[in-house]
Amino acid sequence: MKRWILGYLAFAALILSVSGTTLAQGFQEVRFGIYAYRPDFIMKERYQPLVDYLTGRIGIPVKLQVLDQEQMRAALASNQLDFFLTNPSQFLVIRSERSLTGELATLVRKHDGVATASLGGVIFTAATRNDINGLSDVRGRTIASPGLHFLGGFQTQALELKGAGVDVLNNNRIKLVRSHDRVVRSVLTGDADVGFVRTGILEELIADDPRLADRIRILNRQNLVGFPYAVSTRLYPEWPVAALPHVDSDIVRRVASALFAIEENYPAALSAGIAGFAPPADYQSVEYLARELRVEPYDELPQLTWGELVGQYWGWLVATVILVLLLTGSMLWLRRKKRELAAEQLRLRRLILSWPQPMLMLRGGEFVDSNRAALELLRYAMPRSLLGKDIAAFSPQTQPDGDVSRQKIQRLLQRVDRGEVVQVEWVFRRSDGSEVWVDMTLAPVHDTEEPHPHVLCSWYDITGRKEAEQRQRMAASVFDHAREAIFITDLHGAIIDVNDAYVAITGRARANAIGRLPPLPLEEGIGVLASARSHGFWSGEFASKRQDGERFNMALTVSEVRDAQGAISHFMGIFSDITRLKAQEKELRTLAHYDPLTHLPNRVLFTDRMQQVMAQARRQDDLLAVLYIDLDQFKPVNDAYGHKAGDELLVEVANRMRAQLREEDTLARLGGDEFAALIVNVTEPAVLENLLARLLHAISEPVPVAGHLVQVSASIGFTLYPQAEELDGDQLLRQADQAMYQAKKRGRNRYCGFDSAAS
Amino acid sequence: MHRRHFLGASLAAGLAALGLRGCGASSPIRFGIHPWIGYESLYLAEEFGWLPASVELVKGSSALESMELLKSGKLDGAALTLDEAIRVHLESPQLLVVGVTDVSVGADVLVAKPEIRKLDQLRGKRIAVELAGVSGTLLLNILDQAGIERDEVTVINVPVDQHVGLWQQGEVDAIACYEPTASILLGLGGARLFDSRQLPETIFDVLVVTRKFAARVPDAVRALLAAHFSGLRHLVRNQHDSVYRVATRQGISPADVRLALASVMFPDLASNRRYLAKDGRVEQVARSLSLMLAREGLVPRTLEVERFSDSQFLPRSVS
Repeated sequence: MKRWILGYLAFAALILSVSGTTLAQGFQEVRFGIYAYRPDFIMKERYQPLVDYLTGRIGIPVKLQVLDQEQMRAALASNQLDFFLTNPSQFLVIRSERSLTGELATLVRKHDGVATASLGGVIFTAATRNDINGLSDVRGRTIASPGLHFLGGFQTQALELKGAGVDVLNNNRIKLVRSHDRVVRSVLTGDADVGFVRTGILEELIADDPRLADRIRILNRQNLVGFPYAVSTRLYPEWPVAALPHVDSDIVRRVASALFAIEENYPAALSAGIAGFAPPADYQSVEYLARELRVEPYDELPQLTWGELVGQYWGWLVATVILVLLLTGSMLWLRRKKRELAAEQLRLRRLILSWPQPMLMLRGGEFVDSNRAALELLRYAMPRSLLGKDIAAFSPQTQPDGDVSRQKIQRLLQRVDRGEVVQVEWVFRRSDGSEVWVDMTLAPVHDTEEPHPHVLCSWYDITGRKEAEQRQRMAASVFDHAREAIFITDLHGAIIDVNDAYVAITGRARANAIGRLPPLPLEEGIGVLASARSHGFWSGEFASKRQDGERFNMALTVSEVRDAQGAISHFMGIFSDITRLKAQEKELRTLAHYDPLTHLPNRVLFTDRMQQVMAQARRQDDLLAVLYIDLDQFKPVNDAYGHKAGDELLVEVANRMRAQLREEDTLARLGGDEFAALIVNVTEPAVLENLLARLLHAISEPVPVAGHLVQVSASIGFTLYPQAEELDGDQLLRQADQAMYQAKKRGRNRYCGFDSAAS
Repeated sequence: MHRRHFLGASLAAGLAALGLRGCGASSPIRFGIHPWIGYESLYLAEEFGWLPASVELVKGSSALESMELLKSGKLDGAALTLDEAIRVHLESPQLLVVGVTDVSVGADVLVAKPEIRKLDQLRGKRIAVELAGVSGTLLLNILDQAGIERDEVTVINVPVDQHVGLWQQGEVDAIACYEPTASILLGLGGARLFDSRQLPETIFDVLVVTRKFAARVPDAVRALLAAHFSGLRHLVRNQHDSVYRVATRQGISPADVRLALASVMFPDLASNRRYLAKDGRVEQVARSLSLMLAREGLVPRTLEVERFSDSQFLPRSVS
């Protein structure tokens, strides 16, 4: 390196010392630079004849300068050259650094009588290296090359190896030995495993030393008809000759024409080993190569400034920015929508979960989801109690209609699978064994991709309704089948409905009854409704008439019917036919107070009447008499003619006595042949005595009994009321009894008054 | 009907690769080519490893092979001249021109006896031509251009390999042919009366694929064209290398390759777009060619398709 710098400085000094005399105007000298691809002395020896030839042709001394890469650069930088001949890679670098007049001509080499304007690279190794046979074997080997700027000495090989997958700049150690000759030496001495030289070098060296041919082996040798050299790579145009811009165009023209005029057999050509010069070639392929390899002048990618970028691609940039903005915007929008959607889903899920009506999701007949209400309805605590089970698992063996639950639900689900929405009443069995009626809706949730769609299942608890229906049915049954007549009226008493019993009792057809008034008591009439309104009900018994005019008794209860607001909306009446009851009641009453034989009041009624007339007598200061009548000689009649005859006798005697009394007086049979009588308004004793005498007379008249005339008499005792002391009825009757006893004692068929002193 | 063998050279690469694969969406395009300077781009692409796996070249010795294989369905596409493409298209598989490899600028020649100086003088003369080949197209175009009716000349339909013999026997007054026969005839005293330079943008060598395949695996068609343009760049831009490789493959000298390169034009990507556009040059020429061929009875009917070319498979740029 140091040596190189020293050389460079020396050369620069030399250039500077002659510069004053070399510049354009007079052109005492034309400086022709040639790139030193081989050792300096060989270059000078070979190319001096060419320079001499040019001197002879253009009339100005042409000076040969054999320069290495750096020297050539320095010389060009200071315009110390007029023409130069160099390899195409070097030429590209120079052209990129300064303006040139363009290439004048392309070198044509010749070997073995064959000319070519193409060059290539040779990859070779020592003949003894059996381990290196193809391009891929080059990987990792030490490579000897004259320099990275050599087209045929490095770049062509690098490209070829790159094609074979070997990146020599990164995979290999490269020894840059500055000349092709040294490359060959390095490979022969083993300093390098592989050598890179340009085409023609080996042929030239072999010409000097034929043994060399056996000591080296060429890799990837190309078989190219008509190309005179061994080559390992593809070919590129040979070296160009170029002029610098400061050179007078006339001189350029003269040099160019001199170059083209060179014939193969000219000493200049023979010495240099060339066939002459051809019109300039197309060097673009070399540019492609340099670009591909990223070597000078294409080693640096242009630094693109923002300004240039914007200037060049502003349309794209704007479009990109807009797209990015749109994308960002749409992403944000989508994210927001997604969040909204998630929130919406959560809300919906919560809604469903907390919805008071039970909702479940079925798939393949099994529960896959359920809300809280559904759990509560069936009285389970955890959703997993339901999930994975089917509807039949929570149902009784059979439904109320008699269908087996499992078969019925399968039929229903088949219909749902076909797309129907099914609504059905269903009985479930809760966890505690109780049953619950629901109105169940099964609806397919359409998802065409699944063979079995999800089924939405919702329940509505209708147990209450079912019970109400039950009650209603019972009520209707009661209404229809009651033996009591029932009617319902509006607020004005007009009948709205009646039951069958009503029709049966009243004999009035339903159609005739409706819209009319129900049977009501005559005296109160529609007023019973007012009573029912004020007391809540009205109850009473009264006589009414059937349709055919027959009278009957009825017991009616009318109640108000209130609506949900508590206001009276209807009246309801229930009645029954109590005609027969009334008759029985009357009979019973008769039995209790009258003697069945004589139909006279018995002792009970007599006592009752006596109380009444005693009270009346006290109030009105009247006098009443109590008579005790006992038939004489009755037993013999009974014995002689039988009880029937005795009874007939009693009836006849009773009738006769009754006929003697006034309406307001009372005659009663106390039992056997004993009677008693109450005589009111006894104004004077004579009237009483008169009555007593008529009684005795009436009794003693003969009586036809059982074909016989029988004659009986009676003993009558009497007492009066009020007396000095206050008496009750029993005492009074006892007084009359005692008096009767006196009459008996006195010989019968007579009457006798009670004498308190006598008793 | 054999599309030119360049200088008669025939590198018959085997067709062994044929018929081994079934069809599938990922099957590569089986593309038939044969030696011709215009198709060298694909050979180069293969040599440099620029052919992706989706492109499989089936190398034959002549256009005839490619056409037969196309008709039998053993190929998905081929490199052919435009008139050959029309002939195949009108027979069996529907084709689509997806690329133009080259345009003849002098490769097709009408060689005439020196005393014939103008096309007009062809009237009443005997002209040899291989009607079924691209030379037929050339001759028909010449007659058309000169306003000479078909029955005003005597057309002798002779395969191209007999042209030199005919000429030497003096049997004919003119011969429509192509290189290298043309150069031989010129060397035998013939005069270049007319060549394809005077029929600009008329004789096309094209890349065609079956419509079915293009619809099924468009990516493979794109890969084929990308490979073609990569190879073309090397062929044109790196002639210092390519001439040797073409010469090696065709067994001729690099100098002959340079001559051959000079007789054709290689349209680049932009020109391809222009040629292949709707109602572009390729479709125009294809229509007029089909009319001409139908008139001569060389094809059963005229071209009656909306599109015969399609530029959509061209790469966006050449890398």
